[in-house]
Amino acid sequence: MIIEQMPRFFKPLKHVVVLVDMDHHSLNDLARLVIWNLVAGVPYLSLFDTTGELYEHEEKLFYEVEKLKKGVPGCVKWANKLPDLNGYTNGNSAHTLVVNIFRHRDGRKTVVECVQQIAEGSLVCKRNSREFTAEELDEALSQIYPAIPDPDMALYTGCLCSTKGLLPWQIRLTVFVQLSTDHSINVDQYLGAIHKYSKCDQRFGK
Amino acid sequence: MSTWVKEDSVTFFQLFCIRVLKTGRIPQHIAFIMDGNRRYAKKRSVDTKLGHYRGFDKLSETLKWCLDLGVPEVTIYAFSIENFKRTKDEVDALMELAKDKFQKLLEEIEQINEWGVRVHVAGRISLLPPDLRKLVSQAMIATKDNNKLRLNIAYAYTARDEISRAASCLVDGVKNHHITPQDIDEELLTQAMDLAEPELLIRTSGEIRLSDFMLWQVSNTMLYFSDVLWPEYSIWNLLAAIIHFQRYAPPPKDEDDISPSKLEFLEQLNKDRWQILENYVNA
Repeated sequence: MIIEQMPRFFKPLKHVVVLVDMDHHSLNDLARLVIWNLVAGVPYLSLFDTTGELYEHEEKLFYEVEKLKKGVPGCVKWANKLPDLNGYTNGNSAHTLVVNIFRHRDGRKTVVECVQQIAEGSLVCKRNSREFTAEELDEALSQIYPAIPDPDMALYTGCLCSTKGLLPWQIRLTVFVQLSTDHSINVDQYLGAIHKYSKCDQRFGK
Repeated sequence: MSTWVKEDSVTFFQLFCIRVLKTGRIPQHIAFIMDGNRRYAKKRSVDTKLGHYRGFDKLSETLKWCLDLGVPEVTIYAFSIENFKRTKDEVDALMELAKDKFQKLLEEIEQINEWGVRVHVAGRISLLPPDLRKLVSQAMIATKDNNKLRLNIAYAYTARDEISRAASCLVDGVKNHHITPQDIDEELLTQAMDLAEPELLIRTSGEIRLSDFMLWQVSNTMLYFSDVLWPEYSIWNLLAAIIHFQRYAPPPKDEDDISPSKLEFLEQLNKDRWQILENYVNA
């Protein structure tokens, strides 16, 4: 069903983030999001743990995804050491989705640690003028962060749109899309979000 | 008539509505991404330049609304470092617009001081043409004691650039033994930035991204996206955003205490920055 309803020429979506709120989202909600992103052909999915509870339940989420994964082609890789979930593959067409879980400390705190390491001299950051440029600091930060593309789209539920501290360095072009006002998550809302993303033209700076 | 704060832009009924809203929580810092000047010009089949002038007029109205609402700090995204990539004609026209408006500000300085507006330009000022750089520095120095409304203008700005410049200050602070690497924490880096954290960020014209604006500061901010083009933005759009804010905004964050040694470092940093501006004025 997802494949049928995907916009035909949708803008390539490389990295989707979900602002996870464990007061309102169940592990089943999140597991379904993992499967939809796998089917939609998105290479990276990040779950941003805004309430700090998901991290403790990572293994439970893993089993929940495993349950739903049966019969779905493709492979789910967990960035945090959990085993990969391989499905049956259709020759080479099988798709891989990498799932990361980010916490609060991966945001501002990590940038602060990077600056600290530069000040200590344990991390090299080139500086060609009086002050670092964004490109120079970006190079230092790329040694600390995992090598994944910046998020294209962040999904949230509820009436409050906020980054909640999500990766400040990486979200300059991220589109924020609301799934629902009542915190529910279903496949129609997910497809609606992808349509909305496809319609946003990127005119960065120009 | 004042150029920067439009006086007669509020009707009696609007003032009444403002009074009603003021019984609730008013955001203490609003940031605007004033998007849609060019689309407005296209829609009306007028020159892009005129769209930007209309955009500035809207800003002067918005400042009056914010003064009436009692919002003490407003930040606007006027020109991004990426905007230098636009056509030369448009960049020149934008620089000309800024020059004209800052010149007016200096001419009308008495009125600005009466309003109590403090102007602060945030961004990599060294990228600006020398004459504009000088005007901008003069405006900042001339208004630095005003305290009713602080207007931050992000010009030659991107959030990544701001973070990089703040990081440079801290790295230099360690190098010069003013602070230790252990002193570097979230609070200190936040304080070393040009801009403070807004409580409400409004972007007009339907875009739903931040486009490299205040990425560091918005972690606890309500983001509010409006479909209206900036030159068509009305007081009702602003009041609607504030009602949404009163209903859904996260509670304000507690201020962290900062140690005397860090405070001393930040004060010195501030002094150095004023010195750079003095140098631009005297250049």
